[in-house]
Amino acid sequence: MDKISIPIGPHHPLLKEPLSMRIDIAGERVLGGTLRLGYVHRGIEKMATQRTYVQDVHLIERICGICSHVHTTTFCLAVEKLLGIEVPPRGQYIRAMMCELERVHSHLLWLGILAKHVGLETVFMHAWHDRELALDIMEGVSGGRVSHAANQIGGVRFDLSPEQVAMIKENVEKLKAQVSGVLDVIENEPALRARTQGVAPVSADLIRDYCVVGPVARASGIDVDLRRDDPWPPYDQLDVNVITRPEGDAWARTLIRALETRESLRLCEILLSQMPVGPVTVRAPRKVPEGEVVTRSEAPRGEVLYYLRSDGSDKPARLKVRTPTLAVLSLLPEQLSKIHVADIPVVLAGIDLCIACADR
Amino acid sequence: MKAGIELKMLKNLINKTYRWAQKNSIWVLHYNTGGCNGCDIEILDLLTPRYDIERLGIIAKASPRHADVLLCTGPVTLQAKEGLWQIYAQMPSPKWVVAVGSCSTTGAVFYGSDMVLGGVDHILPVDIYIPGCPVRPEGIIEGLLKLRERIIHGETD
Amino acid sequence: MVKQIDLITLLERIEAETGCQCEVYQGITDEDALYIPVEDLGAVIGMLREDFGCYHLSGITAQQRESQPGEIELIYHFWHGKGLSLLLRLPADDPRVASLIATIPGADFYEREAAEMYGVTFTGREETPRLLLPDDWDQGPPFIRREESDG
Repeated sequence: MDKISIPIGPHHPLLKEPLSMRIDIAGERVLGGTLRLGYVHRGIEKMATQRTYVQDVHLIERICGICSHVHTTTFCLAVEKLLGIEVPPRGQYIRAMMCELERVHSHLLWLGILAKHVGLETVFMHAWHDRELALDIMEGVSGGRVSHAANQIGGVRFDLSPEQVAMIKENVEKLKAQVSGVLDVIENEPALRARTQGVAPVSADLIRDYCVVGPVARASGIDVDLRRDDPWPPYDQLDVNVITRPEGDAWARTLIRALETRESLRLCEILLSQMPVGPVTVRAPRKVPEGEVVTRSEAPRGEVLYYLRSDGSDKPARLKVRTPTLAVLSLLPEQLSKIHVADIPVVLAGIDLCIACADR
Repeated sequence: MKAGIELKMLKNLINKTYRWAQKNSIWVLHYNTGGCNGCDIEILDLLTPRYDIERLGIIAKASPRHADVLLCTGPVTLQAKEGLWQIYAQMPSPKWVVAVGSCSTTGAVFYGSDMVLGGVDHILPVDIYIPGCPVRPEGIIEGLLKLRERIIHGETD
Repeated sequence: MVKQIDLITLLERIEAETGCQCEVYQGITDEDALYIPVEDLGAVIGMLREDFGCYHLSGITAQQRESQPGEIELIYHFWHGKGLSLLLRLPADDPRVASLIATIPGADFYEREAAEMYGVTFTGREETPRLLLPDDWDQGPPFIRREESDG
């Protein structure tokens, strides 16, 4: 059959972000594809060197709306390392709790999008309705549903009152019950299994060659999670279960994220029960001494790397951000070469794209 | 002369009915011109049971040819501006543009960058501006209700 | 969990196998870092993968230090249970380095970004198509500090 190239994008009903793809098909089989990124490129790395560190925290938060907290956390960790200051334990626990809640909300969001593409519209509505519980918690403690401004250099911006802690515990309980229902659907629903099982399996060698990170790597058996391997406090005091699956197909990627949601809720409960008392922030000087630092964190989509170089002033000299979606996207043409046309939405949803992160 | 007045009254009645139907079934097209996704997921949240925008007659459509209103988010990056213009050009009249979020209003945090234009009104005529970073879903509903008022009064750019 | 590599062992092995002179760079807080000569990059990466099992390239940072404006520095960030950064210095008027995509296909996007933002040429690959900059961008690499303007 002759090869046809179909352009998709930049505006398309599959995703909510502009991304241009050219997919080559022959009949019903997909031969491969190329991507064109850059529609969301705002020049954040350059802007970061023109603003002060305090202004940069607000700029970095808007690299991506879904994983905003982990970006500011990694940036603040980098600056705090250069300053040589340490966040008080209560501040560390609140930061970690917001990170886990963000993971929960991101995975539930992704699950709804995948269900919509697979055809289970009800699961989309249920997942996003449950996601509102996580957003209610974040709004109750920080004032913002999606963009919380929780971090500042030296700690967090707010403290938790006993009423807020009780509210969080209640919502986490409700979320746990809902997530069990979702897991039941993923493991037993024949429609979901039929559409995702065996689709675009990726071997562990391919993951290593393409340097893929996050749940996509864990779904092919690679045992890496920076919360356990490169922990910033308080993760070094927690016992994080790293979940891996050997199959490497779209169903494994789905199951891993649902299991990670359950694990994040468990970590939230532990963080709440063990939260120490004390201040939540320390005062940080405006000018950062000369130095360079590399920090890494585990975002909902994988490893985030920040390289920060300071020249002694109150503005960074160089900030480099490497987001997990950029690492995962390099595998996409390879994944697309193994599937049928009808599986394209499933594969795209399975890698959980966040083009705003990738383009910066 | 009476026939002339009656014709005019008939025309007015038809126009009013037409605008009433229009305001009660706004079909929106959502285009992200390079934003961080915060506003986009709040727009998608409108479709979910808690905010349920379908009770107001508003549906999100995928094709520009079906849509009345273009919901724009994002500060309009240089790469995305061509796509924005083409989508607007493909929408049939009468059409309205709503700028959702501070980015599409003024550029917000990204103002001053070489890679963004800094707001949808650099290219398109905007009817309603909804500020916020990100906008709460209630804010978007309020903006769309204000748009309904504009529609019922027959104002369009 | 990958076995962690001791920096001194790595340094001795590199010098023994490839004969190139590397020096430890202390400037990055809490991170192992090595300066390696540009022409030995492929050999060192091959040794890291085969002998030490260090596969994961996290990213490539390109930068131009204010104290050395005639040089562009590339930093290759690796992860093997702990971080390892390899630094290279390239002359700013003709920055060339061998491409890694034959051994590490995942380095493609990072090389393309360094090429368009700093004007680095990666030899051994056909072309470096634009990744992030708009199609009609004609003002050259945006991060390079030029003498007449303030970059």
